[in-house]
Amino acid sequence: MGRYLSLPILILATALSASILPQLLSFGVGLLGNVTPILSHTRGQFSLVMLLVLAWSIRSDLASGFVWALVGGILLDLYSALPIGTSAAALMIIVYAANGAAQQLYRMRIVTLLAMALLATVFFQAYTFVALLLLGLSYDIVLVIRLVFLPTVLYNLLGVLPVYAFVRLIQRRLRASAPSASGSLSLEAEVGTS
Amino acid sequence: MRRLGSSFGSSATTCYAGYSTCGCEDADLRLNGRPNRFALLMMMLGLCGLLVVLAIAGVLSPVEAVVAAPLNGLSGAFNSLSVAFNNAVDELNNLGQLRERIAELEEQLARGQIELLQLREAASDYDRLVSLLSYTSTLENQEFLTADVIGVDQTGIVRNIIINRGTRDGVAVGMPVTTDLGLVGRIIDVSANASQVQLITDENSAVSSRLQETRADGSIIGQASGVLRLTFVDLDAEIRQGDLVITSGLGGNFPPDIVVGQVTSVRQFEFELFQEAQVRSLIDFQTLELVLVITSFQPIDLTVFDQ
Repeated sequence: MGRYLSLPILILATALSASILPQLLSFGVGLLGNVTPILSHTRGQFSLVMLLVLAWSIRSDLASGFVWALVGGILLDLYSALPIGTSAAALMIIVYAANGAAQQLYRMRIVTLLAMALLATVFFQAYTFVALLLLGLSYDIVLVIRLVFLPTVLYNLLGVLPVYAFVRLIQRRLRASAPSASGSLSLEAEVGTS
Repeated sequence: MRRLGSSFGSSATTCYAGYSTCGCEDADLRLNGRPNRFALLMMMLGLCGLLVVLAIAGVLSPVEAVVAAPLNGLSGAFNSLSVAFNNAVDELNNLGQLRERIAELEEQLARGQIELLQLREAASDYDRLVSLLSYTSTLENQEFLTADVIGVDQTGIVRNIIINRGTRDGVAVGMPVTTDLGLVGRIIDVSANASQVQLITDENSAVSSRLQETRADGSIIGQASGVLRLTFVDLDAEIRQGDLVITSGLGGNFPPDIVVGQVTSVRQFEFELFQEAQVRSLIDFQTLELVLVITSFQPIDLTVFDQ
C-alpha cells in the first residue's frame, strides 16, 4: 500500500514545490531580506520531494524506498531542465545510503535525522549541479553555493522534522489499518524506530 | 531489534520494518538467503540510466506529456492560490507606497497627455512614411498566445518557468516569450500541454540587444543574482543610466525591438575591450503570472553557416 501511496503524495509534493513553496519562500526571503541584505537575491528551494523520499526510506524497506525514489525522481524531472531519470538516480543513492544507515541504528535521534538531511541535500545539490554541467549548462559555482546551495540546506534542515513526522504518521496509520498478522511485530518496530 | 527486523532476513520478521507489505518481492535478489542490496541498487540505477538515455533521445516525450498532464493541472491550481495570496499581502503592504505612486502617476499622466498630442502628430507622419517605404514593423505582425505560469524549475539553479501551453496550442522550441513589460525568455522544451521557458535571467541565457537611444549593440547575459548584464558594447558607445535596452534581432533568436530592461549602472575600464552595464528588467520574475508567447516568430538557425 505504501508504494502506491507514493504517487498521490509525491504528485502533491511536486505540485506544491513548483507553485506555492517558491512563492512562500520568496515572500519570506523578501521580508528577511529587508532586515539582512545578505538574504536578498537568494533562491534556495525547499526539497520537499527529496525529504519525503528520505524520510520514507529511513522508516521503510529498501524496495519500497526505491519505488518512492523512482516516482519522486521522475516527477521532479518533469519540472526541471534535467532529463527524466536523472534525479531518480540521485534519490536511489540517497535511499540506499539512508536505509542502510537507519538499519544500523537503534533509534532515530533528531541529530541523526538532521545529519542525514544535511548529507542528502549536499549530495543532491552537488549531483544536480554536475548533471547540469554535463548537459552543457554552466553556472558560477561560488554564486550557486551562496545563493542556492546554502539556503536550500537551511530550508531542508528546518523542514526535515515536520516531513519526517508526517511520514511517520502515515506509516503508523498504514500499519494500524494493515491486517493484524504481525501485531506483535509492529509494536516491536515502533519501539525501534520512534 | 530494528536492525534485525529491517535487514531483509529470510524469516517472517523481515516484513515488519516498514509495514506488512514490505520487501518480499525481492526474493530473486537474495544472496545466500540475504538480499543483495547492492545488486538491487545497481538494477535501479540501470533503470534510471535507461530512462535518461530514452529521455535524451526524445522517446519519452509522449509519455512525459501524459504523466505531466495531471501534475500541470494541480500545479496551475496551486499557483493561482498562491498568486491570489501574494497579491492580497502585497496590496496590504504597499498601501502607503501606492498612495505616493498614484500622486506621482497623476503628475506623469498630465505630462504624458501633452506628449501624446505631439506623438499623435508624429505618428501620422510616420504612417505616411511607412506606407511610402513599404516598411512594416516586425512586432506589428506578430501573433501572440497568452499563457499562465504554472511552475518554476525544481533545481533552483536553473531559472526556468513552466507555462500551461504546449504543442497542442502551437508552441514550439525557440519561440520568444514576453509580457507587456518586456522580454521574459524563450521556449526550450515543449510537451503537449506545457512548456519550459528559459528566463533571460538564467546564466546560460544570452540575448542580442541594443541600446534604444544610441543604437549600440551588445549582449544581455543573465546572472545568478537575477540582475542582467549588458556586455560586448563598444568602448566608444555611450551608455547612460536609465537607457532602455531592446532586442536587436541579431542572431535570429528573438524579434527586434522588444524591451529587455533599463540600464542601472555602467562599468568601463580602459584595459578592457568592451564596456559593461547592469540592466534591470522591468519584470518581476518572482511573481510572474501571465506571459505572451510569440507564436509567429520562427528562430533562424545560423549554425548552417558554420558548416
